[in-house]
Amino acid sequence: MDKETLQQFEAQCFQEEPPACQTSCPLHLDARALAACLSAGKAAEARKILDRHMPLSGLSAYLCEGPCQAGCRRQELDRGLDLPLLERYCLSRTRAARFMAMPPTGRKIALLGAGLSSLALAWELARKGHQVRIFHQGPPGGRLRALPEDRLPEKALSEALEGLGKLKAALAETLYSPEKFKEIQADYPIVFLGGDDPELRPDLIGLRRADIQPDPTTLLLAGGRLLARPPLEDGGHRYIDDLAAARRAAGSIERLLQGVPPDSARAGEEVYATRLQVNLEGVAVKEPAPPADPRRPTEAEAAAEAGRCLQCQCLECVKNCVYLRHYQGYPKKTAREAYGLISTAFGIHTANTMVLSCAECGQCREICPNGADLGRIIGLLRQQMVETGHMPVSAHEFALEDMLFSNSIAFFRHQPGRTRSRWLFFPGCQLPASLPRAAARLYEHLSGHLDGGLGLMAACCGAPARWSGRPRLTEESAAFIGRAWAEAGRPTVITACPSCTLFFQDRLPDMPLKSLWTVLAELPLPEGAVTGPPLALHDPCSARMDQATRKSARDLMAKLGQPFSEPPLGGRLTRCCGYGGLASAANPGLADDFARDRSADTEAPLAAYCVMCRDRLRAVGHPTLHLLDLLFPEKSPAEALKRPGPGISDRQENRRAFRLNALKEFWAEEPEEDQAMDVTMHIPEELAELLEKRRILRSDLAGVLKAARAEGPQFVNRETGRHLACLRPRQVTFWVEYSPRADGSFDIHDAYGHRMLVPGVPGEGADSAASREGFDPMGGRR
Amino acid sequence: MSTINRELPEIKAGGWRCRKCGRDLQPVTVDLTYVGSSFRVELPGCPDCGLVFIPPELALGKMLEVEKLLEDK
Ligand code: SF4
Ligand code: SF4
Ligand code: SF4
Ligand SMILES: [Zn+2]
Repeated sequence: MDKETLQQFEAQCFQEEPPACQTSCPLHLDARALAACLSAGKAAEARKILDRHMPLSGLSAYLCEGPCQAGCRRQELDRGLDLPLLERYCLSRTRAARFMAMPPTGRKIALLGAGLSSLALAWELARKGHQVRIFHQGPPGGRLRALPEDRLPEKALSEALEGLGKLKAALAETLYSPEKFKEIQADYPIVFLGGDDPELRPDLIGLRRADIQPDPTTLLLAGGRLLARPPLEDGGHRYIDDLAAARRAAGSIERLLQGVPPDSARAGEEVYATRLQVNLEGVAVKEPAPPADPRRPTEAEAAAEAGRCLQCQCLECVKNCVYLRHYQGYPKKTAREAYGLISTAFGIHTANTMVLSCAECGQCREICPNGADLGRIIGLLRQQMVETGHMPVSAHEFALEDMLFSNSIAFFRHQPGRTRSRWLFFPGCQLPASLPRAAARLYEHLSGHLDGGLGLMAACCGAPARWSGRPRLTEESAAFIGRAWAEAGRPTVITACPSCTLFFQDRLPDMPLKSLWTVLAELPLPEGAVTGPPLALHDPCSARMDQATRKSARDLMAKLGQPFSEPPLGGRLTRCCGYGGLASAANPGLADDFARDRSADTEAPLAAYCVMCRDRLRAVGHPTLHLLDLLFPEKSPAEALKRPGPGISDRQENRRAFRLNALKEFWAEEPEEDQAMDVTMHIPEELAELLEKRRILRSDLAGVLKAARAEGPQFVNRETGRHLACLRPRQVTFWVEYSPRADGSFDIHDAYGHRMLVPGVPGEGADSAASREGFDPMGGRR
Repeated sequence: MSTINRELPEIKAGGWRCRKCGRDLQPVTVDLTYVGSSFRVELPGCPDCGLVFIPPELALGKMLEVEKLLEDK
């Protein structure tokens, strides 16, 4: 993934955009942060924010009219936050930080007029070390002097002037005249006219009012070295505009001094509408409580007002994604962090697990007002990890081995008695793994109703290869299916699993597809179909964009007469069960939290039409059944809701059984029985659970035991008499501690594996990362 | 990678002996390899044929930890 892709994506997530209060403040004061400090009682911290954004904060904060209040999102609910009140409170409790002026630059700037704009500008410039002189007529402060004490304490002005003095900004009382003005212009390369000081009348310095029309962006007048806050029209004056003018003029002057065009890079200085999206749904109305003395709010009053701030954020997608919450991120941040960590050539790749834990489920994209799709970026980052050799080998290996296992027993047959298929039923790898008998009954049902021949193909679609970020393996897997489909005569493929549908749409675009659920909804109900208690219908994330399939599932429920409800966040916004993107392979604990989130959505038992969703939701304890449990029941719905999903070994054995039984039942074939399991093992239940967690298959144990039966175990215990045998059939070494029984079977005491290569261990498995994709398909169990 | 050696917990042979050679296990030096990195450690093994014994606590503990570390490099 290149930097540009990242930047384009970052631009799509608006979480870091400033809140509305800030973009409607001409000084872009961070009101959100200020309110956060004050509601936490941190006045000193709040003062630092004021000082950072406001020139001469001790004076200006009394004066600002608070245009942010109208921009504040609370205004839509009750009243915008009273920032002027909070600022006054801050001033009453704190002192301005001492600012150190930078070393003198020797650059001279003259300011005419001593109104607020000149004072503020003097402060900005003097701090930078420039030599500032304010030429004024009459006492400095201009119209500020006329303000009543309760609007502006006199002390505030005198302290501001004192502060300017400390910064060596000199005040020079003068009598304005055209000659004086010329003299000043001759002495000072840059001159500012503070027209908000009523003493500075244009005619006094030989100008007409019409001459003072500065460029709105730079405040420069023709000639390029005279700037102005234009003289005030009657009425409509705001002190905040004086401050904004000072800020703007300071920006222009800095550019002039550095020889940069004064209008360069000035976007965003003005007041604008933020792009930050804030969801106000469910926010309670909370009218402000006016303070007893508005000029001097108490700490509690200030904290109460500050507490009304919503701390505006977007995070809409984060609220609903357990992955983003877990990593305390949001799409922009998570993408940036992951990209940074993945792209570093050196050091520890701590982001690996983070990148591998996203379910690539597309929920964030559908929730985001801008369609920011983190899952897509994660997919690209995984590919990058594979390309640069940073993909941890172990993360997806089991899932990929499982996929290859499915394909090692893949088969295709035309419908019995036919040589052509108009249709092809593709149950995928997980339906036969979880519901092998229902899958067989389903084939029977479909083939009895569809015209033109219904072939059957059992295999894995290849989606796990793509989730694992391995382009070559993805290509090979898709090609494997593509070839078989072409040989079958390019029939319309009926997919049971929406993930297969997605994968084929993407990789085999010529393949005509029809969802099993649409087909079933169109056919008569199978005999023996039952209904259960009221259920909540869970849509799999892979059907998020597949409105037709989602509708068919509902049609089918209705046809069946099965009462059902919609859980929150269904349809296009549905939650992932944690299997998506192989999240459950790389981060099983977090993946379970995905399922728990869904479980928490509803009290009702769930119905799923993706078998992985069904098994994963059941695994976190939520009563869940699969639609096929109703259509082709083996047990009552009540039992189906509680049926535990099969373990990893059962899944493979179920696939084997599905194949054997289908070939026998439908095609009257006598397939050779599989040799893998001709070892009888006795495994205590607790150990069986451990093996599940360690992802060790019963067939792995059988392999070790068969080798030990032929060659003898590696170790024997002289105290317990137990045997210990090891074998490295692939990129994992397995150790099995066991006792042989007289009847040739084995008591298993323990089994474990490691990926490190230990010399002397028999078996063909090499060191990991044998190929660039870190996973050599040919090294798999075939 | 020699640091790994020092960090290894002490592994007890726990009564195991080599089936082929009939020898009790003694500390032997062996090179372990993972994703292309090799390092030398001392583990209980057969003094004759050199095969080392990997107990579950080593495979599921320190070894797993080092595997993850090397994968994340
Ligand atoms: S609620 Fe707070 S963060 Fe949001 S606009 Fe108002 S002051 Fe700003
Ligand atoms: S898990 Fe789904 S919602 Fe969460 S970030 Fe990944 S793709 Fe987005
Ligand atoms: S919904 Fe998520 S991705 Fe979209 S702007 Fe908000 S935080 Fe960013
Ligand atoms: Zn030996």
